[in-house]
Amino acid sequence: MDPILTTNILNVVYEVSTLAVVVLGLAVVFGLLNVMNLAHGEFVMIGAYCAFFVQTQDLPFLAAVPLALLVCGFIGLVVERILVRPLYARPFDTLLATWGLSMLLREAVEAIYGRGFRSVATPLTGSVDVLGAGYPAYRLLLTAVSIALVAGLVWWFVQSATGRRIRAVVNNPELAGSVGIPVTALARNTFVFGCCLAALAGVMLAPLLPVNPTLGLDFILKSFFVLVVGGLGSLVGLISGAGVIGGVESVVSAVSDRTWGYSTVLVIAILFLWLRPNGLFPRT
Amino acid sequence: MASFLVHSAALVAALAVLPQLVGEFWAYTLALYFLYAIAAMGIGLCWGQAGILPLGQSMFFGLAAYLSGLSLIHFGDSWLLLVLLPASALAPGLLAYGIGVLVFRGRTLTGPFFAMITLALTLLAFQIANSWNDVTGGFNGLKNIPGLPGLSDFTDLYYISASALAVCVLGVAWLRRAPAGVLWRAVAENEQRVRFCGFAVQNVKAVVFGISGVLAGIGGALYAPQQNLVTPQLCGFILSADLVIWAAVGGRATLYGPVVGAVLIGILTADLRDEISWWEVILAAIFIVVVLYFRQGLMGFVEPRFERLWRRAAARDIESPARPGAPDDTGFALDDVHVRVDRVRILEGLDLAVDRPGVYCLIGPNGAGKTSCFNAMTGELPVRSGRIRILGRERTGAAADVLSRIGVGRKFQAPSLFPDLTVAENFNVGLWGGRARLADLVRMRSHRWSSAILREAQARFPFLAEEDRRAGDLSHGQRQILELVMVLIAEPRLILLDEPSAGLSQAESREVVEAIRWVGSRLQACTVIVEHDMTFVREIADRIFVLHQGRLLASGTVAEIQADERVRAVYVGASA
Repeated sequence: MDPILTTNILNVVYEVSTLAVVVLGLAVVFGLLNVMNLAHGEFVMIGAYCAFFVQTQDLPFLAAVPLALLVCGFIGLVVERILVRPLYARPFDTLLATWGLSMLLREAVEAIYGRGFRSVATPLTGSVDVLGAGYPAYRLLLTAVSIALVAGLVWWFVQSATGRRIRAVVNNPELAGSVGIPVTALARNTFVFGCCLAALAGVMLAPLLPVNPTLGLDFILKSFFVLVVGGLGSLVGLISGAGVIGGVESVVSAVSDRTWGYSTVLVIAILFLWLRPNGLFPRT
Repeated sequence: MASFLVHSAALVAALAVLPQLVGEFWAYTLALYFLYAIAAMGIGLCWGQAGILPLGQSMFFGLAAYLSGLSLIHFGDSWLLLVLLPASALAPGLLAYGIGVLVFRGRTLTGPFFAMITLALTLLAFQIANSWNDVTGGFNGLKNIPGLPGLSDFTDLYYISASALAVCVLGVAWLRRAPAGVLWRAVAENEQRVRFCGFAVQNVKAVVFGISGVLAGIGGALYAPQQNLVTPQLCGFILSADLVIWAAVGGRATLYGPVVGAVLIGILTADLRDEISWWEVILAAIFIVVVLYFRQGLMGFVEPRFERLWRRAAARDIESPARPGAPDDTGFALDDVHVRVDRVRILEGLDLAVDRPGVYCLIGPNGAGKTSCFNAMTGELPVRSGRIRILGRERTGAAADVLSRIGVGRKFQAPSLFPDLTVAENFNVGLWGGRARLADLVRMRSHRWSSAILREAQARFPFLAEEDRRAGDLSHGQRQILELVMVLIAEPRLILLDEPSAGLSQAESREVVEAIRWVGSRLQACTVIVEHDMTFVREIADRIFVLHQGRLLASGTVAEIQADERVRAVYVGASA
């Protein structure tokens, strides 16, 4: 196979699978709580800054994982209590409030670290030969971890008791509450879980990104577009959405430049929002 | 009107003396934030009045700024500027209207979708402005834009901005008070009812979005000559976000809220951003607190006190114009109508026809398809096969607003009105529907319309004469009657009523029977009533139709239906 083609295909797979991790957190929260957390991208950003912080302290890269989970889990816990829970009945205000939160987190990080780009050293250097194409080992590892993470979470969701409870609450929160499922606690845990997933993605992606306070903005928009294109129905929707958005962006960017890639994604998102707001695989 | 003139004079006077009070430096700063304030007012109009949140206001601001900047660079001292500058301000309005027509057409998009579309459009606009080097100057933008010819002084700039602000504030104040404003607030509260009053809601929303685009355009068109520099950031996400925050914190539903928000926060930010590094964080926290606890914003504490003065119902001393061109035919016919939602069969070949005025009752057990029959007629449920004739023409699948304009009125099972509007405003939306021309919607005198049916209804139900009350404060029974009267004052020829007596006392119920009979005979209308209360049916029905499992089971007079074995079997649950 042509090495350039191989590289491009691997790029698409990498783009789609890492995007899927970020979207999964957003989708789980939206599916269960009906809350579109517009600050989701900022949790990715904070995760990335955790990786940067760990590096400044001369700690091993993996130390960033527990740190990011702790920081974002705690923020998520507080946010769920004071900001998300009071607004369950007002979904539109939740959108605004989480949007305000995204500004708050972004500006707070900016106040601490400044606007400049930071870089995080790649923990795994070197490249691996894939069908004659040299591909960065860390990217390959990341792709594998992302796929494993998404697959593992879906498997857990389908077969575990907690997964069943979550699905029960999605289906009918009142009935779920009346048969003894602790809906409030489940909602809180889900929100925190979504934030932690974003934080984890942030840590993993930090070595490959220019780490800066506005990094979350790109992620939330792309994730939102994935949900719009894929629909909120199923895993198939999520993956096809991530495939369309991540795939189109990396393919068009490869053929032309990043501006065109980004603009094409925007146009696709606008068309979907306008003509098919329930996406390819709507929730029934 | 007098209060409007006082308001205008006070505003002009305040803006005229302000530079003397604050000095030249601040006047220059204010001149910039006044332009942002005008754009923020557009958000107030869309979001605070019509309930649609535009997250892409900067796209229109930026577009106007580029257009006006290019005009000034290329035609800086030509008379063409007299055309080009206003055109730069209006072009974004046209674009916004066009986007609105496309986005709102044929579907009631929920708020977040519209907001996200405008956000995505703004991001796209930024990409275009940032990369189309030949026209926009790319990342560096348009530089050295000449100022407006004939102006030199900083204070001149102030007076230009201040005049624009005054004109916009007064224009918006007028629109808010005019029928258009009432209509926008009605759309924010209950789109469906507005549609059933005969208004094409998608146009109403597109117009308000277009006006907000013009406001952003005015701000942007004046920005270019004032700042002499236009960069892609003007189309960017950050300015859009700032405008929304200013409108929210100042008070989105108020007239001055967006202005106060833009000027106060804008100037505080410009002043404090460098001194307090956490300023933006504090601002974001304030925004969150406003969203959570003070949705009315700063001016929400002040303005409603004044607003009560002019929101008082006007005396109804003008006879409303006659409804134009209702067809002479009465009645309707459903011919083998099938309706399915997913795999659930709702109507299974329903045949039902009524061809002369009178009161007809639709009865049947739960799930028989009574309300669905109405929904199929008014386009709420898609008809898979079969045909529906209404008032003399086939109108299968016609939209509710079109039907309402030709004379179909519908009352819903649960009272569907505008709880946050006054009783007077609820009536007015009913009266304007089908009667008001475009010009009537910006005229204050339309608030004074009256009609014979309205007067009669107010005599029968005295609580309807207390027109200053909030509709949401009425009891359930009173709301049922208010909605019924809203339907009747539109003078429909085909009246569809879904359980009009639910929740009424016996006395009220008798009054309703009389009112329906009176209006029906006066308008020579067909009245079709879905009803479970057999006492009510016996009192009012000329003829009864019994539905069962999506088909017509029986029809006849009250006595005939009571004697019908099949009907009894259905009601006691035996197989027919």
